[in-house]
Amino acid sequence: MKKYISLALTLLGFSILAGCATPKNDQLADAHHSYNNAAINPQVTNLAALELKDADNTLNKADYALVNGESTENVNHLAYLAKQKVMIAEEAAKRKTAELAVTNATASRNLTRLQARTAEADDAKQQVANIQETADQQALALAAANARAARDQEIIAQQDVLLKELNARKTKRGLVVTLGDVLFNTNKAQLKSSGTRSMQKLADFLNKYPQHKVLIEGYTDSSGSESLNQKLSERRAETVRNTLGSMGISNERIGTQGYGEMYPIVANDTAANRQMNRRVEIILSDESGNIGKR
Amino acid sequence: MMKKPHQPGSLQVTKIVISLIAVLFISACASVPAPTEQIAISNEAVKNANSAGSSEFAPVQFRSAMGKMEAANRAMQEKKYALARQLSEQAQVDAQLALEMTRAAKAQKASDALQEDNRVLRQEIDRKTK
Repeated sequence: MKKYISLALTLLGFSILAGCATPKNDQLADAHHSYNNAAINPQVTNLAALELKDADNTLNKADYALVNGESTENVNHLAYLAKQKVMIAEEAAKRKTAELAVTNATASRNLTRLQARTAEADDAKQQVANIQETADQQALALAAANARAARDQEIIAQQDVLLKELNARKTKRGLVVTLGDVLFNTNKAQLKSSGTRSMQKLADFLNKYPQHKVLIEGYTDSSGSESLNQKLSERRAETVRNTLGSMGISNERIGTQGYGEMYPIVANDTAANRQMNRRVEIILSDESGNIGKR
Repeated sequence: MMKKPHQPGSLQVTKIVISLIAVLFISACASVPAPTEQIAISNEAVKNANSAGSSEFAPVQFRSAMGKMEAANRAMQEKKYALARQLSEQAQVDAQLALEMTRAAKAQKASDALQEDNRVLRQEIDRKTK
């Protein structure tokens, strides 16, 4: 029983002591509360450590004043200072956060500007490249056109040379090469060797320009029978065809026609004129193989 | 002799008590020196807050600092030095808080403006490159 009484007394003593150890002050408790809130805010502890430390020191002074039994007014005063200092620390942290954001935003802005400039430069470069490419293509096309024109010019020049050698005449039916009577044996359909040489030139031309065709027309003078002259003209035309055929020109490209006494060039009144009328005309087609009709 | 209700002895006691109280007051006054330095510091803090524009950005805190500063100056004139120290100390932290709030608000404004600028710039670039 006595033991219980002493225990109760001890407990009472402790509780009295405890009460003495923590005297109450609402404003100080409030300041502690503010401080604790700030102290768990990483923004404040990282960016406003000095300011927070200052608040902590003042808070300790207030605690000390309370424990030492200083006047409530003094404790309240120190608690007020501590609380304001906590707020200063919090505001300082806010300011530094914003300042960091400004720094970052400036950097970000510069980066954005740089990206924009780079994009513009790339764009301009691309445009120049496009223009260059177009110019290159045009130059290439022009060069090709020039080359084609030069080649055409050359072909035409070559043709002209060959046609000149053939003694071709330009008529409304096309180019006409005339083989005179002197190239044939008299009243025969055989070509003389000089006539064969003439034919070789024509064959060379036809071999070189396979799109051209020829029509071979035989004519005679008015002496002798009409039917004989018709046959002679046909045979002479045939002879020319065969000669060309032997020189590698296919029959399909060669047409023949005998006109006998028809279409004299001059009147058959003198021997010389009659000789002019005895002839074989070779008409060259255009490049599509067309020949003007008689 | 009707005009002498008090006995000479009690009068003596009263005089002694009054003197003691007077001595106590004087000694109290003597133990608290004039907080001239603190007043100067606080004045400076209030001035800083004012020139930073705290009356606009932290009007409550700034007014509180001003009011306490005036009260501290009055207390100084009345030679209530303990009170003057307390008031001026409070005026100092109030002014410091007002200043810090002002700087924080300005920094935040700048940050917001820059971020908005960046947003606009980014938008412009995105539109241009499309």
